[in-house]
Amino acid sequence: MSTTTLDRKSIRNSVGPGPAFHRVLNSEFIKFRTLMSTLILLASTAVVMVGFAALGAWGTGQFAEQAAQDPQAAAAIAAQGGDLAVTIPTSGIAFAQLILGSLGVLLMSSEFTTGMARSTFAAVPKRMSPFLAKLIVVMVSAFVLTAVSTYIAGLVSLPIVDSYNLKLDLGSSQSVKLLLVNSIYIAAVAAIGMALGTIVRNSAGGIMSLVGIFFVLPIAFQLIPGDFFKEASKYLPGNTINPLTAVEHVPDTLEVWQATLVLGAWVVVPVALAMILLKKRDV
Amino acid sequence: MIEAKGLTKVYGEKTAVAGVSFTVQAGRVTGFLGPNGAGKSTTMRMIMGLDAPTSGSVTVNGEPFAQHKAPLREIGALLDAKAVHTSRTAYNHLLAMAATHSIPKSRVREVIEMTGLGDVAKKKVKGFSLGMGQRLGIAAALLGDPQTIILDEPVNGLDPEGVVWVRNLVKYLASEGRTVFLSSHLMSEMALTADHLIVIGRGRIIADAPIAEIITGKGNARTRVRTDQPERLMQLLAGTGVSVEVHERELLEVSGLDPREIARTALDNQVMVYELTPLQASLEEAYMELTKDEVEYHSHITTGASVPAQAGGK
Repeated sequence: MSTTTLDRKSIRNSVGPGPAFHRVLNSEFIKFRTLMSTLILLASTAVVMVGFAALGAWGTGQFAEQAAQDPQAAAAIAAQGGDLAVTIPTSGIAFAQLILGSLGVLLMSSEFTTGMARSTFAAVPKRMSPFLAKLIVVMVSAFVLTAVSTYIAGLVSLPIVDSYNLKLDLGSSQSVKLLLVNSIYIAAVAAIGMALGTIVRNSAGGIMSLVGIFFVLPIAFQLIPGDFFKEASKYLPGNTINPLTAVEHVPDTLEVWQATLVLGAWVVVPVALAMILLKKRDV
Repeated sequence: MIEAKGLTKVYGEKTAVAGVSFTVQAGRVTGFLGPNGAGKSTTMRMIMGLDAPTSGSVTVNGEPFAQHKAPLREIGALLDAKAVHTSRTAYNHLLAMAATHSIPKSRVREVIEMTGLGDVAKKKVKGFSLGMGQRLGIAAALLGDPQTIILDEPVNGLDPEGVVWVRNLVKYLASEGRTVFLSSHLMSEMALTADHLIVIGRGRIIADAPIAEIITGKGNARTRVRTDQPERLMQLLAGTGVSVEVHERELLEVSGLDPREIARTALDNQVMVYELTPLQASLEEAYMELTKDEVEYHSHITTGASVPAQAGGK
């Protein structure tokens, strides 16, 4: 029997393509688009963005109308260059960051909570490849969704703004800047979420960490007396978006280049940590 | 071919796998038998590179799993029927796995048909029974048409028809010259499926032999002996390859000697023996015997002293 065993051994070698990065990327994209929960979160983000923009347009219109009768308010508007309406399309960005950040967490944490990770990393044992592929899918989809929702939000708020005789030019350089910077920012938040999901491997824990960083810490830092926390607060990732999108430098915020570096560090550090842990830990 | 050398996995203070070495040959079904918690799954996860060994190494077809250019085409594994995102459909799960190696959709459909999942392929895995989950896991393992197939407890939760199907499938795969390594905690299942058996208990290899050898219980034929001088008889019987266990005060179980030899020794030394019964070891018994001391979770506390008197003892 042992001789026949030897004869039959290795009837063939494996033939065919292996897990090159573009294939892993394709696989991660299939995984991304075949989950109903992902699609629901994406759709909710779009709805929230558009809804808040419409509300924002209405509120801004009301404010402008009152201002027309109030010389003091009118002066305040004039001081801002009269460009009241430009931030309307991104009114819902705080909620978009929460939803898409959570999506980032979930896409990775669910791999571990469901056991899918064993299939993923058995098919592609070089773990950095699926991680980076997923990171690309997460960031690109967060960017595209934010950009598209912002634009649609702008289109929806146009007639409302118009009815109050306010001006909103979606093609103005400040509008385009807001759209792009906010979309990049949301992509960064989603990346942070995915890194947190990889580190804690648990959906609730990952989302709570994200909420902690973006919603709890800024408020806590404000409440704690002392200059240190006031200063530290500027370096929280959620507080980088203001200096990044402002027309002119706002006092008590970081410079644009500083904000860019800080946000970058908030992405790079957790992502690097996540990669190290993913490589070292057992699946 | 799978080759493990001194494979060890320690979790904190608990040693799950303690320096196991074995070889799984191509062209035959190798069973990996052991009670729950013996280290089967941990060993298989280490083969697949999911768990890093604390020490030792394991290679598949001469290389560590992670070094293969096309892992899915080299080894297919069912490690856990739940290694699936349950909100995805079976088809989409397989499609995503296949995409990593550019395995065509036609092959995805093929393994779905092969595993009998045709009717449920477009349904979410959430609603699957354990048996359907197993079939999906097997489908995923076969996706890359791999040379080596690793199945962890594949018949768990399968209906009788499914059990027979897995049995025939693995035999067929082995007959094609593939390496098939499947684990189970059921000796009876292994007896029907495997050609070769590796028995593991508490992280150690207890036996590694052709199934026929384990079934016939080489070194396992025992004789029950009742005598009023158990200690004296134990000393007289001691010798190479002989083990004597004391079950009750006057009841011994002797292996390594046949009843005639025991009777002769007793007679020559004037020891009265009032029972001498050859014990036919069933498969289940042979397995129990092999793993008796290695089971992690005992279902009850054994009564009576069980003192193996090893050969050479004085």
